[in-house]
Parts: sequence; C-alpha cells; structure tokens
Amino acid sequence: MTRNITALVAHALIIAVLLTALGVGSLARDDAQGQTKFTGELERNVTLRILENDTAKEKGYFKELLDAFNAAYAEYGIVAVDANMDQYTDLEQDGPYGYGPDVLYQANDALMKYTDGKHIQPLPVEKLECYEQISQQAWDAYTVEYDGEEYVFGVPVNIQGPLLYYRKDLLPEGWQENWDREGDGVPDMVEYWTELYAYSRLLREESGGAKLGYMKSLFDPYFSSGFLFSYGGYVFGEGGTDTGDIGFSAGEARKGARVLRQLASAMNQDCIDDTVTVNAYSMLANGTYFATMTTPDVYTLFIDELAKEYMRTDGLDEADAYARAEENLVAADIPKLPASGDLEDRTGETVESVMMGGINGYAISAYTRAPNAALAFVDFATGYEMISRRNELLGIAPAREDVAEKVGGLSETINADLDAGRIAVMPSTRAVAQIWTPTQTFFSDLAKDPFRLPEEQKYLSLDELQRGLENVDAQIYSAIHTLN
Amino acid sequence: MKKRKPVRLGRTADTAVTYALLLLVAFVFFFPCLWLILASFSSSGSIYSFRGFFPSGYSTESFKKLFFDTAMYDYPKWFGNSLFIATMSCIFGTLLTILTAYCMSRFRFRSRKALMKTTLVLGMFPSFMGMTAVYLLMTQFNFINNHWGLILIYTAGAPLGYMVQKGFFDSIPGSIDEAARLDGATNFQVFCKIHMPLSMPMIVYTALTSFTWPWSDYILPKLLLKTKDKWTVAVGLMSLGETEFSRFAAGSIFIAVPIVILYLCLAKHLISGNVAGAVKE
Repeated sequence: MTRNITALVAHALIIAVLLTALGVGSLARDDAQGQTKFTGELERNVTLRILENDTAKEKGYFKELLDAFNAAYAEYGIVAVDANMDQYTDLEQDGPYGYGPDVLYQANDALMKYTDGKHIQPLPVEKLECYEQISQQAWDAYTVEYDGEEYVFGVPVNIQGPLLYYRKDLLPEGWQENWDREGDGVPDMVEYWTELYAYSRLLREESGGAKLGYMKSLFDPYFSSGFLFSYGGYVFGEGGTDTGDIGFSAGEARKGARVLRQLASAMNQDCIDDTVTVNAYSMLANGTYFATMTTPDVYTLFIDELAKEYMRTDGLDEADAYARAEENLVAADIPKLPASGDLEDRTGETVESVMMGGINGYAISAYTRAPNAALAFVDFATGYEMISRRNELLGIAPAREDVAEKVGGLSETINADLDAGRIAVMPSTRAVAQIWTPTQTFFSDLAKDPFRLPEEQKYLSLDELQRGLENVDAQIYSAIHTLN
Repeated sequence: MKKRKPVRLGRTADTAVTYALLLLVAFVFFFPCLWLILASFSSSGSIYSFRGFFPSGYSTESFKKLFFDTAMYDYPKWFGNSLFIATMSCIFGTLLTILTAYCMSRFRFRSRKALMKTTLVLGMFPSFMGMTAVYLLMTQFNFINNHWGLILIYTAGAPLGYMVQKGFFDSIPGSIDEAARLDGATNFQVFCKIHMPLSMPMIVYTALTSFTWPWSDYILPKLLLKTKDKWTVAVGLMSLGETEFSRFAAGSIFIAVPIVILYLCLAKHLISGNVAGAVKE
C-alpha cells in the first residue's frame, strides 16, 4: 500500500514539475504582453503579424500593403507579415496564449465582441491621419462607453452595405420603352422592388422556372432584416445599446416580412436555405439568375465567374472576357420599397430601403508586444494611398470620405447611405451573437411559406406575420437575458 | 444415353438475386466516389454549373491548380503535414498499443484488472470531450501550432484501444512462451522472435487504424494548428472558398491515395497472417 501511494505521489510530482517548467515560458510571455501603452515611441526590430481577409490576399492587395509598409519602416526594423491564419480566427481563443495576430481586419461586430474580455485595446485614433476623414457614424461602430468615458477600439476601413448585383446584358430587349417609366435611363426593375418582383415572376413564367429574376437566400438575417428595418424595425433600442429592447417586430416591420414572403413566391425553394449564397456567383454568370443582393467586397468574385463563363461559352480571351464582365455586371443601390408593403402595388408611394450593414476595420490585439508599431501599421494601412489602392483592387466602399468622393459611384452612394441612415450598422455588442438563430429560423419558415400547401401556410395576414416577429423578439430576449 | 443434369431453377434464381443485390449495394457505395471523381474534373470549378447530376465539361485544371496554384491554398504542404503527423502517430501508436496489449495479455501484476477496466472505461469517452483540457495542456507544453503536439495526443490515445490486440495475444498458446524460455529466451526475445511474427496481421491492422485516424481527423488539427502552413489536408480543404468545389473534390480524391497504398503494401501480411496455421499439413 505504501509503495502504491509513494508511486502515485511521485507520478503527480513529475507531472507538476513538467507542467510548471514548461509553463514558465508561457507565463513569462503573458507578462511581457501586458505592455499595451501607446507611448508614441516605435518598438524596434519587431515582427507584426497581420490578419487580413482572403480577398485582399487573392487580389494581391495585401502583399502590396505589406511591401509598402515594410519599405517605409525598414529603418526601425519593423516587419509586417501575413499572420497566415483563417480570416475568421478567434482572438478570444488564441490571443491570451500568444498565438493570435497583432493587428486584425474583421467586421465591427466580430471585433467589438473582443472588448468584453479586453482582448483588443482602445486606440488613440485622433492621432491617426484618417481620423478627420471618416464619418462619425463609422467611428460610432467602434466606440464603447465605460464609466462615462468613450473609447474607440477600431479604425473603420470599408463600409459593408448590401448592393443589388445584376446582369445588364440580361435586361429584356426594349426595356427603355417598357421598363423605364420615368425615362431616367435606369431600368425600373433595379429601381423598385415592385418592378423587380414583377419582372422575376415574368421571367419564371416565361421560362418554366429555368430562369429566375431576383434570387437570394432569404433565411440570411444580414440581408433580410433590412426589409424589417425599412418599415420601422431595429435590432436593439437606444442606437443598438439597449439589449432589453429588441425591435424586429417594431413599427410596421410586418410589412417588410410580407415583402419577403412575396419575394420568396417569385423564387424557387433554394431561397429557403444557404444554397443561393453559394451558387449566386455561378448562377448569375450562366444567366440563370438576373439579380442578387450581396456586399461590395465580393464584387471581384462575381467578375471572375462571369469572365470564366464568357471564356468558356463565347471563346473570348481573358482580357476581353474580363472587360465584358466588368461592363455587364452592375452593382446598384438597393431598390425602393412600396410604402404599403405590398409588392403588387406598382403605382403607390415608395420608401427608401434601409439595409443592415457593417463597418470592417482594423483593431490591435491586447496581446501584441509592439503596440506602437502596430498603431503605425494601422495608420499606414488606413492612409489615403492605401485605401485608394484597396478600393481599386478590391472594389470595396471606403470609409474614408475623401477617397469615396474621389472614386465616386457606389462608394460615394454607400457613404451617403450610411450618413442618411439607410444602412443600419450592426450593433457592436456581444449580444448580437444571439440574434442570428431566432431570425434565421423565422426567415427560413417565412421563405418556405409560399411553397407549402394552401391549408398549411402560416403567414397569410399581417397579424400572423406580427405574431411571428414578436416571437422572434421574445426568443432573442430569452437568449440574452435568461442567464443574467 | 447420358442423363442430363437437371437445372435447378430455385438455385439459379437465388444466385441471380444475390448478385443483383450485391451489384446494387456496390453501386450505392461506388456512385458517390464516381461522382466525386467526375466533379474533380469539372471544367467550370463550381458544383452549380453541372448539367443535371454531372459536370457540363471536363478538364484537368482543378488538379493543376491543386498542386501548382498554392498562393492561397497550399495543398502539397497540407498533404505533407498530414503525412508526417499520420506516419509518426502510426509508428509510435502501433508500438505503444502492441506493447500495452502484450503486457496485459502475458504478464500478471497487481492492479492489472483495475487498469484494464479503467482503460476500457476511459476509451469509451469520445475524444472531443476533453478538448478544452487538451488545449490548455498543449498551451502549457508550448505545443500549440506544433505537429508534435498532435502526434503526442494521437500516440498517447492509441493504447486505450488495446483490447482487440490483447484478445489476439490471448489466443496464442502460453506453452509456446514456456518452450522458448526453457530454451533460454528472455522476455524481449519471446516478444520479438515469437509473438511479433505470429502477430503480423494484428500489427498490420493496428498500423492501418493508427494511420487512418490522424490522417482523416479534423477536430484536433483545427483546434491546435493556427497558421495555414501548419494545417493538415482536412483543415485546409474545409477552408476552400465557395467557388472552389472542383479543387475540393480533387483534394478529396488524393486523400485516399496514401491509405490505398498503405493497404496494398500491407494487405498480404494481413491475409497471410489470417491463414497461417489454419491448415495442418
């Protein structure tokens, strides 16, 4: 018995010694990472690990950025490198153990969830060159109030607002006569949801379902919530800070839900789940879909697919195919909605669409060993030149108003939409994580409704839609507050 | 006159039905593989441009991209990483499993039964139950983003499944050991010169299973490997973009290659071991 106990104690001691000895390194590293002050004095001979999104890498922008920064800061021995991680990597999981990146580029809701655990640090943004050029609405997405003081945790880079993507070469012949009632040179079907709905139904009927007009995964709350917001709905009250006030059913949001149901009836059952999100690139390219809605950052993916299609079917060379794709693929502002909330009402009053959006930006990890060098990188990457280049290569809508003004077009429109409140920025709070499942379930159920047998349909009246939305609010409230 | 053998209709029908059923089952299992192979040769690269169930055009572009377009998705590197982790885990895991099984089968010591029961119970828990603990331990060992961390986990976990091997060793008569010892063989010699050759089928089986688990595992590498240059094939393929289905299919086909090669190389040992000694000549 004594021998057994001695053996057990000896084993336990060996394990404890091993863990302690090997753990000392990690603990020592954690202490060193505690220096998070922005003193203005650049750390020398350090390597910064930068997390960027995959499109920036694919299109060569990230390499240009790293090369330019490294050349500019060579005298300090500061080297920025690709963190070489998944673009959605979780700093909360890896950061405390020293494996996360130093600088992160992600969406505002993803970045701001890190503020709870102090995984990212407040930045002296007023020292940055871009400070004056970015609108207050964009800064607000990264601002948090603690004990009456406001802290900014990220630097906005681009605005993610939905756009309507459509194929100009798929417009019906003679659309100027039949589909441009104002004669403004803009087809009605990309100006009004009522017309897009009518055109979608027409296309589907004429082709026997082989061709479709507007297609989108309606279960996706990021794109579908906007229809509710356009009629008075919202995520959280008090500008997105009051998680006790959930507003998906607020105002006349039910009208937006009815619009979604009508849109679903002009699509096919692929709109119920994620299918359209992943097949839209190919389906728009091969002409099965006429239009879809998505964010500006995937513009280049649509162009790639369309160019490939032209090369394959029309035998064009690469340069011609890309030129033709860029000419025919149009990214337009979101159409206007009928004030009545009925897509059959083609002559009534219209209201502006308010869509859910986000602000992608840079944040600095609280675990970085070189906060000043990291800040210098953020300053460099959000400078006029790099943001202009980013827009040029990736087609993003820059948060810098001077760049947006210079490039004009949709970049300027999206900035104007943000200023005018036509883009409802996702609240920068951890509670946002609780909105997705209940809303997805509801939108999925709603999209499925037109495909059910008549006696099984659940959302035929505005009252039924209202009850569905109130149920969503209740579920989100429970998810956020039950354990609090 | 020679009497003709009567045709037994029932037996013929039975054979025909059996073959038909077997062919149907084989087709059910083979069809997904065939579809994946055809999809990997799709010229469009996307699953959504298929004409009906099959690609509308074929090319080898996906395979070229898989191995040469490595700027975003470095498949050859991921393949090499998987091969290294699986090979090392296979070598160490097989060694530990066989030794554990041999000890439990051939030696009698105190707490043996208790140890056997404990390992049996521990082996029943799914490995992902301890993920958080594993992650924290690996951070303390500085084994995050390190292939040896994974090898350690796979190797350490392998002997928990020693019961099958122990059963095999139990079936080898103890009198063989006694005879060898009478001739002056040590324990190590008995193991190496008598049990090892007799246990070749079981060693091969153990090696194959020790290889396939780390080769196809997704959860642990996803948890522990942080940078893309350290990823395994399973993690890397899951990261492919939405428009890269053909590349995904091509990568999935190549996953099978090492396992097939390993099987072909070791199959003869598996079979010869099974039949050795079955017939007294």
